[in-house]
Amino acid sequence: MIEIRELTKTFAGRGGMLGRSAVPALRGVDVTIPDRGAVSLIGESGCGKTTLGRILCGLEPFDGGDIIIDGQSLRALKPKDRVRYFRRVQMIHQDPYSALNPTRTIGQILADPLALRARQRDADRDWERSRRAELLELVGLDPDYVLPRYPHMLSGGMRQRVVIARALTVDPEVLVADEAVSMIDVSLRLGILQLLGDLRAKVGVSVLFITHDVATARYIGDGGELYVIYRGMVIEQGQTDTIIHRPAHPYTQSLMSAIPVLRGIENPGPDAVMPTGPLDERVESPGCLFEPRCPFAAADCAAAVPRLSQLGGTEQQHACLYPERRSVVAVPFAGSAT
Amino acid sequence: MTAGAEAARSEPARSEPAPARASEHLDGSAAVRVRDLTVAFPTPDGPLPAVSSVSLDLVRGQITGLVGESGSGKSTLALTLLNAVSDPGRVTSGSVTIDGVGDVLALHGKSLRRVRGASIGYVFQASQNSLNPLKPVGKQVLDLGRSHGVADLRGLLREARSLLDDMGMNAERVLASYQHELSGGMRQRVGIALALVLNAHLVILDEPTTALDMLTQASVLEIIRKVHARRHLTTLIISHDIGVIGDLADRIAVMYAGRIVEDGPTRQVLASPRHPYTRGLLTAMPRIAGDIGQAQPLPGRPPDLTSIPRAGCVFRPRCPLATDACGQAEPPVTERGDQRFACFVAAGEAS
Repeated sequence: MIEIRELTKTFAGRGGMLGRSAVPALRGVDVTIPDRGAVSLIGESGCGKTTLGRILCGLEPFDGGDIIIDGQSLRALKPKDRVRYFRRVQMIHQDPYSALNPTRTIGQILADPLALRARQRDADRDWERSRRAELLELVGLDPDYVLPRYPHMLSGGMRQRVVIARALTVDPEVLVADEAVSMIDVSLRLGILQLLGDLRAKVGVSVLFITHDVATARYIGDGGELYVIYRGMVIEQGQTDTIIHRPAHPYTQSLMSAIPVLRGIENPGPDAVMPTGPLDERVESPGCLFEPRCPFAAADCAAAVPRLSQLGGTEQQHACLYPERRSVVAVPFAGSAT
Repeated sequence: MTAGAEAARSEPARSEPAPARASEHLDGSAAVRVRDLTVAFPTPDGPLPAVSSVSLDLVRGQITGLVGESGSGKSTLALTLLNAVSDPGRVTSGSVTIDGVGDVLALHGKSLRRVRGASIGYVFQASQNSLNPLKPVGKQVLDLGRSHGVADLRGLLREARSLLDDMGMNAERVLASYQHELSGGMRQRVGIALALVLNAHLVILDEPTTALDMLTQASVLEIIRKVHARRHLTTLIISHDIGVIGDLADRIAVMYAGRIVEDGPTRQVLASPRHPYTRGLLTAMPRIAGDIGQAQPLPGRPPDLTSIPRAGCVFRPRCPLATDACGQAEPPVTERGDQRFACFVAAGEAS
């Protein structure tokens, strides 16, 4: 289990007329990733979801708060001792076209991390070879076909499977999948999502799924949890299906309203919510960060930051003083075949 | 011809729609007619078609959505509307007739350049990165005007301002900005404005919302819808995302391996898809509503130029319905009312 507690991260901004301006990327985020769990982070670009993933993989230091991996606080460790904990978290990158070295075969790409793993476990060459084949089969690839080939000879979907197999070589506990299907052909996306879901059951790995496409979060397996992030804060959190079908926060409602509606098989939800303006990162507010764009903002929304709660008797946690049920998600036609 | 085109361009008359024009695009006649178009690229195995015997009408005043996976030939098809297929690709047969322009494929040199921009606006894929980083947007509008010999540059800037205003932006600020000062969604809107500022009546948008996040995508789609209606455009929008097309387009054309395998009114095609590929795409699409259990990935992988089957139906290797007949010949186009599809099995099904 991995617990992320009150995590903060601020990037030093560049330039600006009044000197350097700091950009808060994470403003105290709590996320719990249970064993074999599926946790999805959704939000607009720039909301901090990618930063959170990078910090968890050890690619970025954090400023405040703590990450606790199996009871061990990383805050308490020296940076060099943190490394072996970060091994347990592996990143699946967005672009499988640039994540693999084009001059090496798939066999070679998988050999290095496996050799390292073999040394750690005192295993021999045979173990490496059989493990390599095993991992490729696990991600749905034929080892005989894939091993001698170079990345350019494979489709995007196959490459992404190789990237996942490579991440699995070091026996991670968590896969961080940052927009892992957005560059994959549409007809193959579902296969990758289902693979991530299967791996939770088969190898006991948990998945931190980072995306702006809410619909994909439904497909990484049962019991998923969704965190909606807005400007570095979690503003809604709960069961994926609860939040998608009964979002409480107006920001989440606007995200759901923005999903394209398939004419002819779906009707748009009757209560579409649109933010009143575009995101302006320079506007800081002592209250709710969404208040400047919120079509339902009341006078006291700007007074203090609302905390996550179940105000209004909702199933999920949300950070809105005036949660209201709105039907924003598209409704499939009754009796529609697809 | 030159003088006439010149006059038509400097006349901002088109922004003021006359009532007669309104009825003109309700009659449903095609503004663009693509007939039997084949575009081939040389490969070590000889020339292979990226677009193969495609016929398609763009109905005047409507938004047509062209959906297909990478390598399906959708961008190549769209580029032929500008007669801009890049070397070494060649149009080996067919014609592209555009109202007020004629056969685009017969044009070259100056006359072709004049048509591009003035009659046909093209918003390129990743157009958010296709602005000149060294010049403010306003200067780029003027460059565009000069290269097209527009006499009234002030009028052109006025037009650009009104377009940007229409898209909900502060026009003065945007015209004075360099591209790095604009967000992704704003750059995309600037791209659309540049495509329309010379009063093109046909606009082609290649993946206009790819790389934008959900809220920005929704607002760009809304803007396309609005600008399309207000300026009485004929619009072609290309996307790999059937969701985007399903939301925006009046008509949809589904492309696979260089062929249009199905097309028709969006509602009709989505509600009762005929071609197994269209059906497969819809079932493979992660959706916000509906049963997760029914979702199924399409087997196999989209073909590239060299792996497209040379005989029979191109979708056969991935098709759950394939029969022996499918390996023999390419299925002809079957018409059912307004819907057309190229599949032997679906053609045999009752309507």
